Amino acid sequence: MFEIVCNSVVDGNVEEVPSKKVIKFNPPLYKQRYQFVKNLVEQHQPKKVADLGCGDVCLLAILKYQKCIEELVGVDINEGRLKWNGSRLSPCVGDHLDPRELDLAITLYHGSVLEKDCRLLGFDLAACIELIEHFDSEDLAKFPEVVFGYMCPAMIVISTPNSEFNSLFPCAVFRDSDHKFEWSRMQFQTWALDVASRYNYSVEFTGVGEPPTGAEDVGYCTQIGVFRRKAEAAELAVLEHHGEHVYEVVYTTSYPSLQQINYRRRVVIYLVYREVSRLKQKYQVSLRQHELEPEFIAPGNQTGKFTSDLPVPVLTEDDKAMEIAPQPFCIEDKFYVPLQRIIAYPRLGHLCGNVEKLREFLGDVIELNCDGSAVKVDLNDCSDF
Amino acid sequence: MPAKKRPHGDLAASGLRGDKSGRARVRARGMARSPGAAEPPSVVLIDNEASSSSDCERTSRISQKCGISPSDSGCTVQERGGKVRRDIMDLAVCTREKLAHVRDCKTGSSGIPVKLVTNLFNLDVPQDWQLYQYHVTYSPDIESRRLRIALLYSHRELSNKAKAFDGVILFLSQKLEEKVTELSSETQRGETVKMTITLTRELPASSPVCIQVFNIIFKKILKKLSMYQIGRNFYKPSEPVEIPQHKLSLWPGFAISVSHFETKLLLSANVSYKILRNETVLEFMTDLCRKTSESCFTQTCEKQLVGLIVLTRYNNKTYRIDDIDWSVKPTHTFRKRDGAEITYVDYYKQQYDIILSDLNQPVLVSLLKNKKNDNSEAQMAHLIPELCFLTGMPGQATSDFQLMKAVAKETRLDPLVRQQHLARLADDFQRNKDARFELETWGLHFGCQMSLTGRVAPAEKIIMQDHTCQPASAADWSKDIRTCKVLSAQSLNKWLVICSNRAESVTENFLNCLRRVGGPMGFNVDRPKIIKVQENPAAFIHAIQKHVKYEVQLVSIGYYYDSIKKYLSSDCPVPSQCVLAQTLNKQGMMLSVATKIAMQMICKLGGELWAVEIPLKSLMVVGINVCKDAFSQRTMVVGFVASINPRITRWFSRCILQRTTAHVADCLKVFMIGALNRWYRHNQGLPARIIVYRDGVGDGQLQTLVDYEVPQLLSSVIEASSNTSPKLSVIVVRKKGMPRFLAETGRNLQNPPLGTVVDSEATRPEWQVRPCSACLLSHNPSFPLRYDFYLISQMACRGTVNPTYYNVIYDDNGLKPDHMQRLTFKLCHVYYNWMGLISIPAPCQYARKLTFLVAQSLHKEPSLELANSLFYL
Repeated sequence: MFEIVCNSVVDGNVEEVPSKKVIKFNPPLYKQRYQFVKNLVEQHQPKKVADLGCGDVCLLAILKYQKCIEELVGVDINEGRLKWNGSRLSPCVGDHLDPRELDLAITLYHGSVLEKDCRLLGFDLAACIELIEHFDSEDLAKFPEVVFGYMCPAMIVISTPNSEFNSLFPCAVFRDSDHKFEWSRMQFQTWALDVASRYNYSVEFTGVGEPPTGAEDVGYCTQIGVFRRKAEAAELAVLEHHGEHVYEVVYTTSYPSLQQINYRRRVVIYLVYREVSRLKQKYQVSLRQHELEPEFIAPGNQTGKFTSDLPVPVLTEDDKAMEIAPQPFCIEDKFYVPLQRIIAYPRLGHLCGNVEKLREFLGDVIELNCDGSAVKVDLNDCSDF
Repeated sequence: MPAKKRPHGDLAASGLRGDKSGRARVRARGMARSPGAAEPPSVVLIDNEASSSSDCERTSRISQKCGISPSDSGCTVQERGGKVRRDIMDLAVCTREKLAHVRDCKTGSSGIPVKLVTNLFNLDVPQDWQLYQYHVTYSPDIESRRLRIALLYSHRELSNKAKAFDGVILFLSQKLEEKVTELSSETQRGETVKMTITLTRELPASSPVCIQVFNIIFKKILKKLSMYQIGRNFYKPSEPVEIPQHKLSLWPGFAISVSHFETKLLLSANVSYKILRNETVLEFMTDLCRKTSESCFTQTCEKQLVGLIVLTRYNNKTYRIDDIDWSVKPTHTFRKRDGAEITYVDYYKQQYDIILSDLNQPVLVSLLKNKKNDNSEAQMAHLIPELCFLTGMPGQATSDFQLMKAVAKETRLDPLVRQQHLARLADDFQRNKDARFELETWGLHFGCQMSLTGRVAPAEKIIMQDHTCQPASAADWSKDIRTCKVLSAQSLNKWLVICSNRAESVTENFLNCLRRVGGPMGFNVDRPKIIKVQENPAAFIHAIQKHVKYEVQLVSIGYYYDSIKKYLSSDCPVPSQCVLAQTLNKQGMMLSVATKIAMQMICKLGGELWAVEIPLKSLMVVGINVCKDAFSQRTMVVGFVASINPRITRWFSRCILQRTTAHVADCLKVFMIGALNRWYRHNQGLPARIIVYRDGVGDGQLQTLVDYEVPQLLSSVIEASSNTSPKLSVIVVRKKGMPRFLAETGRNLQNPPLGTVVDSEATRPEWQVRPCSACLLSHNPSFPLRYDFYLISQMACRGTVNPTYYNVIYDDNGLKPDHMQRLTFKLCHVYYNWMGLISIPAPCQYARKLTFLVAQSLHKEPSLELANSLFYL
């Protein structure tokens, strides 16, 4: 992120080019913009998020960590940049070892935001960060029709420079040579309100990059409009799948998740192994203590009952649940942990739901006792010592 | 201790390599970070597109390293992080040119032919195929490599062409119309950038640069097959093999490389497994906490964790744990780079949407290597144990038999399964649309798997004192020689046994067995003096210091190997034998354990066990090994072992610690002169021939070896005698090679028979066009490059055998290739710690054993008094 951003300053539509030293934002303005989108995501928990004009995919690289998102799409007209940056979004080793709870698919499309592609329908959030000021008047006219009219996401966030703030910069032209315009707050809000009313959205205005003391009246350096669709667009479902595929897929990846049965099974097996070996270890420790203090051994106690868990400083709800769960036991040299107890362990309970499911997950990987009610391991197989 | 065969194969290599490159990556990218900088961003681990160096490399550095003047022939394509692959450098080292006797033919002819399938695939390149190398400049100049590449890639003119580009050098398989092409492109800001693409070279397919480009192409293809790059290899995360009881996941994958073999371009593919650990540092700590008492928990924890490499959950970076800070908790704050204070908990929640479950865990401290290499203070990174995965094999793994067995079961593929993996890969290359397209645009064709004919050297007879036997299996002749007398053995009259109080009865039992097995062998064992001590290292050392006098022949003891060996190998040189009590407790194994120990003891006393017939009458063989000291990475241990009788049963050894980081030995002249003196004393003359086997050669050091070590050996040999000096040969031995050979037997595939020699097709190029620096196109006369062969001399009881590669870099002896190969095979029979064939010649294995002892236990030079015995067994 940071390393790359340094480079992207050179070419990106980022205005705080180091040469303009008078005002420096901390954190840098581009980060504040991304942070703003991230906060929106945290607040509204969208499932499907699109970044229109995603450039170097920096925003997507931040959003991929959000647990609520299941589909992340980036669209940009520069195919080279998408190709080059795509692999930044691929799952890494940790994503395989410790999979997410929900699925996540990321797709990068090469295409223009001014073209309609049905794969962009049905989104919960579309971000157009520093995008509209690159449109000439013709494109700007087309833009609302595509994004608000056609894509029609539940929420749209649009950011653009606030030209009133430019008076604080040494050279008062546009912040980037590719900008076709830079609007004052009034201009932006007029445009936004018009678009919102045309497409039945509500809009709120805010911004990032606070003006320095004494110049508060110029407003935020970047102005932002957050648009929300007023009506539930029920008829959208019909539209889906019937449109054209105009965009070209440049990169696509999907993350391992607990929704995928093989990953869920794997995680369950690892957790069961952990839990069983932990209990066994505890049991062995208690046996050794008995050895040292022989008076504790009750004669004729064939099924040595596992006494209790080690003292826990504070009993949480989870601990209490564990206390009432059936205890592990030992018959001869075999150590048994009831599946009921395993399922009482909150995370495993969450992953499996019920004992039947747990039994199914364990399959033939972990040995169970004859009636399939408990995990069975050798007590003296001390591979972990 | 009984001989332990060290595991070999893909597993070790891949596991280690992954870690190493991980560390290198951290070093390479270790940017200055604030102390709390656990923030590193998501980083592209994988090379993007065709280019191959790390992402934010500045172009100025690239051009500096590459040297892009058109006439420069030394230019190579950059590998990750701007490093030139070292093994590729080795390929350019030509040694055969000077070896007159093998100039025309380096192949042997004796032995029974055997048909072998290889893991090599033909890569067909049209006869007139050329690679066009261009140099690209930008106006205005652009620093960002990422942008330079993006601009070039997105240009229409080049979009449909097969290309590889690292930001400066562009390779195309089709020539552009003009020698100089000017393109212009627009950045996102609307700036017009002019790109000037100038043809600098036209390269034939055999050029080393082309080889690197081919490797890049295949990397790209593997990525298209949804494989994930770790280190140099590619793995399939989608098909993991799980070993949940040991918390390990294995990702199957391939190590692939394209290179020029004997007559053609071949792609070699090996199955490799990446071992990943499903265990976070926090889980490890809690487990440890349960196992150890509270008082020594932090100490034990630090001891076990410091030095390990961890992988962070959120951004796929690797760090070395340098310390654990128990005073810092996740609820504490740190200062972000922008100056804001934030708690770790909030930071991870904000940045990665991760909720830490344990708020009492300490933080791991990792010192980041300074990128600029100046003397400014090292930066630290704080890492949360819960978010760090352990990597590499668990510390006690090698001693955890169950674990090693479980891993070996999954990773040691038998020949047939291995072949199935390879067939699937080949199928993917040919069928996958993207893969095929990529190959086609470059004009390459992925061909069939190569078969060749090897030769099996005849089996050797084992010569004992009064009996010569032809073992039923050359892999293990322990049964064949059980009742035979060894060649020579000193009797053991005055010796000590030091054991712990608890092991008394075990020791008695062992002594009885030792006497019983010693008799038939011709090894007379008298009753030792037995000293019983407390079970702690100080008690053992104290007993040794008190009782061991110079007249003692041998001491036998248990436990505390390192400190005991250190004392008895240098401070008070007496042969010693360490035996673990638990080894002696193995029921029903007692006699075979005692036999093995008896043999080791005979060797340590200077005895000889067996021999093979050596046709050369006055031959000295030498083994040299170099490895790193376990304590200090800057110290190299050089071990030198030389035979001192014509029968090759007695050995002289020297070992030195040398302060360099290069795997190149400094002291060979002294060692060699020492060995020749010793030979002179024993044989009243000098050996007629000397053959040196050099092991432990690092990647890319072949040329240094030729330039630096061979002259040392040569001058010592020349100085040794005024008239006819001994003739010298130097052979580099390598075990980690790519090629594998499988014997076809009907429909089945098996490991080839012991003694299989391969000296054609899969060996290195016979002829190569010498790279020419002056001109672009002219072809220079070609010259012979290498005199080399593969030999399979060990049995793989599980999995696929790994052939040993021999490269003769110097040869005055003028032995026929046939003889050189036979002799090498014979030498694989005389390693006294194993009653069977081993994978490398005995002198090499002795040198390896010696350096291992010094590097792991002694950390100083062993006493010269022991130089005549195999004290290091």
